[in-house]
Amino acid sequence: MSPRPAILEVRDVSRSYFEDSREVKVLDVIRFEEWEGDFVCVVGPSGCGKSTLLKIIVGLDRPTSGEVLFEGRPMRADNPQVAMVFQSFALFPWLTVEQNVAVGLEARHEPADEAGALARKYIEAVGLDGFENAFPRELSGGMKQRVGIARALAVEPLLLCMDEPFYALDSLTAQTLKDEILQLWSNPDLPPKAVLMVTHSIEEAVYLADRIIVIAGRPGRMIAEVDIDLPRPRNRKEPEFYGWVDEIYSLIV
Amino acid sequence: MSNRNDVVGRTGAVADFRSIAKVSVGQIIGLVEAVDEVGGTADAATISQEVDMDLDHLGPILDAAELLGLVTVADGDIRITDLSRKLLSANLRERKTILRDITGRLPEFRLILDTARQAGRPLGRQEILDVIAARVGSHQAEDLFKALVYWGRYVELLRYDSESEQLTLRAPTK
Amino acid sequence: MGSPPGTRSPTEAVNSLRPVPAEMSGGRLHGRRLALAVLVASLAVAIAFPQQISTILAIPLLAAFSLGRMVAAYTLAVAFSIGVGLAATSSRRAASVLLPLLDVLQSIPIFGFFPAALVFFVSSFQGHPIGLELAVVFLIFTSMAWNMAFGVYESLTTIPRDLEAAADSYGLRGWLRFRRVTFPAVMPKLVYNSMLSWSNGWYFLVASEVFTAFGATHVRPGLGAFIAEAGITGAADRIALGIGALAAVVVALDVLVWRPTSLWAERFRLETTGRQVARVPGPYERLKWLPRFLPIRTATRARLRPVAVAWRRISARIEKVYAVHPDVLRRLAVINLAMFLAIFAVVGIAGLAALIALLARPLPAEAQEIPIAALHSFLRLLAAYGIALVWTVPIAAWVGRSQRASRFLTPFLEVFASLPAAALLPAILGISIVIASAVGLEAQLAALLIALFSMQWYLLFNLIAGVRSIPADVEEAARAFGLRGRTYWKRLLFPALVPSLITGSITAWGAGWNALIVSEYILFGQRIYRVTGVGAMLSEATFATPPNASLILLTVLTMIVVVVGMNKLLWRPLYRRASARFRLEVE
Repeated sequence: MSPRPAILEVRDVSRSYFEDSREVKVLDVIRFEEWEGDFVCVVGPSGCGKSTLLKIIVGLDRPTSGEVLFEGRPMRADNPQVAMVFQSFALFPWLTVEQNVAVGLEARHEPADEAGALARKYIEAVGLDGFENAFPRELSGGMKQRVGIARALAVEPLLLCMDEPFYALDSLTAQTLKDEILQLWSNPDLPPKAVLMVTHSIEEAVYLADRIIVIAGRPGRMIAEVDIDLPRPRNRKEPEFYGWVDEIYSLIV
Repeated sequence: MSNRNDVVGRTGAVADFRSIAKVSVGQIIGLVEAVDEVGGTADAATISQEVDMDLDHLGPILDAAELLGLVTVADGDIRITDLSRKLLSANLRERKTILRDITGRLPEFRLILDTARQAGRPLGRQEILDVIAARVGSHQAEDLFKALVYWGRYVELLRYDSESEQLTLRAPTK
Repeated sequence: MGSPPGTRSPTEAVNSLRPVPAEMSGGRLHGRRLALAVLVASLAVAIAFPQQISTILAIPLLAAFSLGRMVAAYTLAVAFSIGVGLAATSSRRAASVLLPLLDVLQSIPIFGFFPAALVFFVSSFQGHPIGLELAVVFLIFTSMAWNMAFGVYESLTTIPRDLEAAADSYGLRGWLRFRRVTFPAVMPKLVYNSMLSWSNGWYFLVASEVFTAFGATHVRPGLGAFIAEAGITGAADRIALGIGALAAVVVALDVLVWRPTSLWAERFRLETTGRQVARVPGPYERLKWLPRFLPIRTATRARLRPVAVAWRRISARIEKVYAVHPDVLRRLAVINLAMFLAIFAVVGIAGLAALIALLARPLPAEAQEIPIAALHSFLRLLAAYGIALVWTVPIAAWVGRSQRASRFLTPFLEVFASLPAAALLPAILGISIVIASAVGLEAQLAALLIALFSMQWYLLFNLIAGVRSIPADVEEAARAFGLRGRTYWKRLLFPALVPSLITGSITAWGAGWNALIVSEYILFGQRIYRVTGVGAMLSEATFATPPNASLILLTVLTMIVVVVGMNKLLWRPLYRRASARFRLEVE
């Protein structure tokens, strides 16, 4: 596409599980790239292996064949330039909000003061200031996910990966959160430089992404790669919007 | 025939604040956005379908939004107000300021704020529970307490340390 | 403010919050009140029992001795359980070796260990008091360690996968991982099992002090020994004093340690997303009736702050070491595993060797009495079990369903249950003498009652939990359909209670066998009260000079066989069928 080097390269990634000497293939030769400034969504129905794909991309799982390169080098699970937001929030219930957000920094042996300052900065960025000393159980679902996002931003990653981040939220909360993510994304002073999100909701993908990668079938195969060039903020009622949604639906079914 | 056509600032019955106790900020703002997206007015059934929430779940959110003056409900029609338009066009910081003004005027909040101001020192959890219980009975005091802490923290009117169980007033940072 | 709550005006409530003078706030005020109360109480007691003053002054010292043994055993148990738990999770093969071992150890009646431990430690140290102390501490350790080890293992294996993924993804490794993820995950079960273990531990502490008071040449100072010696001389007032002191220590620990700790441990609890199963009591149901005691918590936190600071400094240093040598922890884990396997192997082989050596010798003459004695003991326990069921089932049904009853009774039940039956032994025997000496059955009655007291609390609390776990909607449906009386019991209550009845029975019977050892052979008021039973045979064999090792072994083996046999052949299959049929799931 452009002469810039890709941040992320997914090269012919396949994944199989072996059960009782039978091979169960989950992903079949996935290939795509991501550059700085991209907001990419991976869409597909449940069971097509997209969460597995994200785990492989982030380094939490190994592909059976193929490789994932980050800035030209093989991806590792604790790559400091990549941070993940989880579907179930994955907050440590025994740590306060500030401690949760600072956990990635702590792992990097940042001095406590700087880690705290960074944590507070991103807690404020997601709108949770006032809750630094609260525990996750005192927060609503949307707020918990905001903590998850703040935790990811705090390590100031190049690439932000999100695994169905709105899945566990009701639609109203999810909508608010999506807009806030777009606000954060449009702020050039804030990390990250690229976002990769997995979702099963096509509307969500069309609402948020610059580019959509469609995966379907068992095993999951890449069916299409679609550029969405609608200006933001996007209105789901506009005909161009649901035109895109219809087209992607028709690609899958 | 609905009698819900007051604006914010009424000294409503406690039943109203109870609705705030069950919902989150994100849900209320989400509702306002949803109504805005369909043009600013919609009937409840449409919104219920839009956001895929049955009226049992939508009800408390509607109540809360109404209490805060963000929507008006008349004859089953939901309408957003100028206040909510201001809210939607604001960024995160500004939204908090707007919500702070609104919540600070609610009688339940005023009760706690006045109590804290008069005492002049951090309040303990049990003390606040007693004050709340004096007004609504000990049965609902716990839920109301949690809601007050939640909202108070969000709009930055209160600071609550979960470990030492102390509540203090907070001067908002601009 | 005189008006009842709920009718005060907000202004009244606000006005009642006048600022409290600084120097009287919080902990200091409570401390002063407490000191005053203690002073008044001591004066009252001193006036009432003038000749007991020296005894009364000695009691805190005795309590300190008993407490010290408990703390030593507990520390060992914590270290053991964390070590074994970590070792068992290090590999699947390790788990397949260690877990069954722990299971076997857990099903051995604790008192099966004691005579062997007593003989072993005392002879190793040539009768020096330290041998006796070690034996007692070891006994308490065995009553605590196994269930704590299982608790640690369960916690480690149930850490949600997404938390592990998050920890991996954010680079939490090594010591930081342990501090931020592994250890906090273990905390809730550790605290809960600690509370249980201490309850168990008190029982065995007192029982072992009582046990040695009857036979060994040296009696270690402690509350249990005090009560036992008072029993031997038949001094009723000293018995009462000892029991009272023990109760005071247990309650004091509950207030000062367990209640604040369980409140603190709440933050480590992993939330169950969504589902709220009605009325299922969590591990923190115990001691809920105690107030939250914030001043105690704040005061403790202030005292522990230097510890926290030192901990943080040590942690930072450990992390630096880890950063330079990343496989240190892995090597330590391997060493840990190897050490436990080695310990178990050595003990196992030594035990087997001793077993074979003893079995090679000709059987002692008394051995032929064992089967009959075992039958007597079994029937005694059966009778106690039956009596326990008769009163615990109705009471559990009442307490489990009535909020008021629960609020009123639970404090009494919990305090009463925390008194070890062994401590009550002299009192029970005294009462039995009064009741049954006319027909010469006082020893039988005492043995029965002591067994009953050991068994009934396990049944009661399990049954209460079972009643509470009936989902609210099922209960309401029963009421809506007019289920009453016999139908209600037959269709709802009994089926719901069956699983918890079985779990309670397993523990109760285990406790019962342990109780027999102290209850079938008692020295009281210069007389010996003995009944036919394996417990009596074991006691006599242990106190014979020299101790009759083969007989000890045979009686212990008999008990193990009966307990394990009942578990495998009766309780486990019953439980499996019961939970398949009777489990109440909330969908």
